[in-house]
Amino acid sequence: MTLITEAGAVEDRFTRADTIEAALAVEGPVLIPLAIADEFATARPDTEFGVSLPGSAPIEDVKPHLAKASLVAVEFPAFADGRGFSLVKKIVREGFSGTLRASGPLIADEFADALACGFTEVELPETMANRQPVQQWMAAKDTMSEHYQSGYGRGPSILQKRLAARKGA
Amino acid sequence: MAKDHRAGSKVRGDKLPAILMASHLLEGDTVFLGDSGWTMDPTAAKIAHDAETAAVMEAEGKAAAAANTVIDPYLVPVDLTDHGLPVARHFRDAMRQKGPSIHPDMGKQAEFTPLD
Amino acid sequence: MYRYDEFDERFVRERVAQFRGQVERRLDGSLSEDEFKPLRLKNGLYLQLHAYMLRIAVPYGTLNSRQLRMLAHIAETYDKGYGHFTTRQNLQFNWPKLKDVPDILGLLADVEMHCIQTSGNCIRNVTSDQFAGVAKDEVEDPRPTAELIRQWSSLHPEFVWLPRKFKIAVTGAEHDRAAIKVHDIGLKLKRNDQGEVGYEVIVGGGLGRTPMIGKVVREFLPKDELLAYLEAVMRVYNSEGRRDNKFKARVKILVHETGEEEFRARVEEEYAKLDGPTINAPEEEVERIAAYFAAPTYEDLPETSQVLEQARAIDPELDRFVAQNSFEHKQPGYIALTIALKEIGAVPGDMSADQMRAFADIAEKYSFDEFRVTHSQNLVLPHVRKDDLPAVHAALKAAGLASANAGLITDIIACPGLDYCALATAKSIPIAQAIAKTFADQERQKAIGELPIKISGCINACGHHHVGAIGILGLEKGGRENYQITVGGDATEHASLGERLGPGIDAEDVPAAIEAIVETYLAEKTGEESFIETVRRTGAEPFKAGFAAFIESRTAQHEAAE
Ligand code: HEM
Ligand code: SF4
Repeated sequence: MTLITEAGAVEDRFTRADTIEAALAVEGPVLIPLAIADEFATARPDTEFGVSLPGSAPIEDVKPHLAKASLVAVEFPAFADGRGFSLVKKIVREGFSGTLRASGPLIADEFADALACGFTEVELPETMANRQPVQQWMAAKDTMSEHYQSGYGRGPSILQKRLAARKGA
Repeated sequence: MAKDHRAGSKVRGDKLPAILMASHLLEGDTVFLGDSGWTMDPTAAKIAHDAETAAVMEAEGKAAAAANTVIDPYLVPVDLTDHGLPVARHFRDAMRQKGPSIHPDMGKQAEFTPLD
Repeated sequence: MYRYDEFDERFVRERVAQFRGQVERRLDGSLSEDEFKPLRLKNGLYLQLHAYMLRIAVPYGTLNSRQLRMLAHIAETYDKGYGHFTTRQNLQFNWPKLKDVPDILGLLADVEMHCIQTSGNCIRNVTSDQFAGVAKDEVEDPRPTAELIRQWSSLHPEFVWLPRKFKIAVTGAEHDRAAIKVHDIGLKLKRNDQGEVGYEVIVGGGLGRTPMIGKVVREFLPKDELLAYLEAVMRVYNSEGRRDNKFKARVKILVHETGEEEFRARVEEEYAKLDGPTINAPEEEVERIAAYFAAPTYEDLPETSQVLEQARAIDPELDRFVAQNSFEHKQPGYIALTIALKEIGAVPGDMSADQMRAFADIAEKYSFDEFRVTHSQNLVLPHVRKDDLPAVHAALKAAGLASANAGLITDIIACPGLDYCALATAKSIPIAQAIAKTFADQERQKAIGELPIKISGCINACGHHHVGAIGILGLEKGGRENYQITVGGDATEHASLGERLGPGIDAEDVPAAIEAIVETYLAEKTGEESFIETVRRTGAEPFKAGFAAFIESRTAQHEAAE
């Protein structure tokens, strides 16, 4: 797995564990399925953990865990499955301020979209990272310098910039 | 992902003889596997008369797709003309061998010797 | 007409560079074909039977002469000297090479054009009424709304990987010429009881495999809340639309399976959570865009033009052309003129580079440098002085563009079909040509009156056959092309889907079958009824009976011949 943030490739601090037994055996931050999050949090109240869930998960199922988890990993079954983009918007709207990870065979060409919707990092299977190395992700995210949609991305939208320019003039 | 392209055509009965047809990635033109590499000329298509040759050609097509030369290679069942030229049995494949019926001045029919 | 500012300009330029990079990465194998395909589709690039096809956006169908001259240049330099106008107010080139496409996109950017989202599972080019800003029955010009949506939907980070394509149409008029009930979202500008302007929002219409008429999800949406409400609809669809089966992935299926009430409730629930003011366009921005669509500076003219009346009196051809192809303009002394790209025997919607240049000159000189593309694959000169009509007609005639058949039986919509399209199951254009030849006689066409025929070469319904007064669908049956015929379809505010008349028939039999249907109409019609009005009154039964009789006589003939 390769982990890419806006700044480039980074080390993954989290260890994935699919069962509660495996999770309890992990040293350090652990990334677990949503279904065992409650059990884990009760057993290890002081251990940092993240939850992993599919892009199809309803926000109601995710909400109760947002206060305790420091990372939410949204799993993309395919790069063309955009459900995760809407889910991450809803998670951000709930006030979550931890790490938001898009996990799956994403392509570099959607890195900018992922970031604009609220993801902070992308976790790629190795096969993808070999074909589209980190440099391509860094280049792809900057191909478009402006966006029209207010409420997405870091800076103001084109619509907002126009308004600002008119007010300033 | 929505398909904007349907590779094979449904043909009943015998699948042989056959030729291998694809689209050229960089040009987009319909191309045929010839005796040495890909050709735009429908009369130069290599004809498989037996299953082994067809399988070798199909593998060659897959390799060319993997090497980013062609897209969607598939075997096309053909009938042979009196001159031994391959004419696709399905009307859709035959259209690809010729060019648009509404523009006889365009496509293969305008650039190469006709098949029939 | 809208003009790009520095932001719009940079946006399309960067998009061209982005695509150039994507092509390079496809060639070096960084992108697989499966990954590249949606990226090229989102730039309008398809792969068809013989070659690639490039679909160029004509947002809400509006173009100027400079743009058309560039299209002519591209047609000659990179294609085979012609372009094809489509039912979604786009223009397609049928022979571009992948290696040339980045350059073509660059040339388009030079004239403020692009191919962004003309295909792929995203929000497509927004369509509108070809008589926007001209029609008398208009509450408000729909184009500023369409332009706002064009900008908002361009590379929308959240909605570029939808379950399926998503089409939005906007109309501002009572009479719906934008087919809003058969779009994923249809917007109709209207006034509420307090006189405020807003939208009726219709969701879940569509044609294709499962044709459906859209449902009203909001009776009245205040105008300034548009983008936030669209975001709510899109988010519900993106989250919940089916992804397991592409034939069930359109929003129409979601609305149908969820139920109208429940779907509305989900949209409203999402909408309530949104922070509208941070999403909606600022009022100043809406006004800035609207200002570009201000009416041109018309002259003060009398309603009737003596020049035109005299010319019509001595020139029957001009008279027929004006009678058939003109549309009433709200400004006295002006008309909007339909240019039917439907010469008998020609390919519906095709235009040669020479015709493009000639037409660009005409639009520049006689229609405030503006023209429109219609979803009937025709063009419109929106503001022609009646005094100029004789000259305009002469110029059109010289360019082979003076077909006096707008709306008649020979003004046929046909998708590309098997002549080009990789998904086709049957030919479509040759059927249109054969029908047009059968009904070539002008007097006969006039006697039959308004009769939109629409033809698709497969179930995807790009030719809108479900909403044709007569619809023809080409399928493959037993290794042959086979055509199913429907009557009673309508894409306007009376939207309805056509009903099948009987078994499918061979290509050669289609023109005679249409003649049989027309005979039934002429026998059934009362007074001045149009074809569709007659079908609405009588139902499909008499037409089925006439069709059955036709099939029977055909079979008898075939047997006698054997
Ligand atoms: C030639 C290549 C084309 C391909 C491969 C193609 C592909 C498709 C497909 C797959 C659909 C079905 C979508 C669905 O039901 O989800 C469709 C629908 C449609 N296409 Fe095309 N199309 C092509 C050309 C055109 C042209 C030339 C036009 C305009 C003349 C057009 C206009 C439409 C329209 C209006 C629909 C119906 C939309 C609806 O379902 O509401 N397409 N097309
Ligand atoms: S209706 Fe079918 S044949 Fe016609 S253009 Fe659409 S996909 Fe192609």
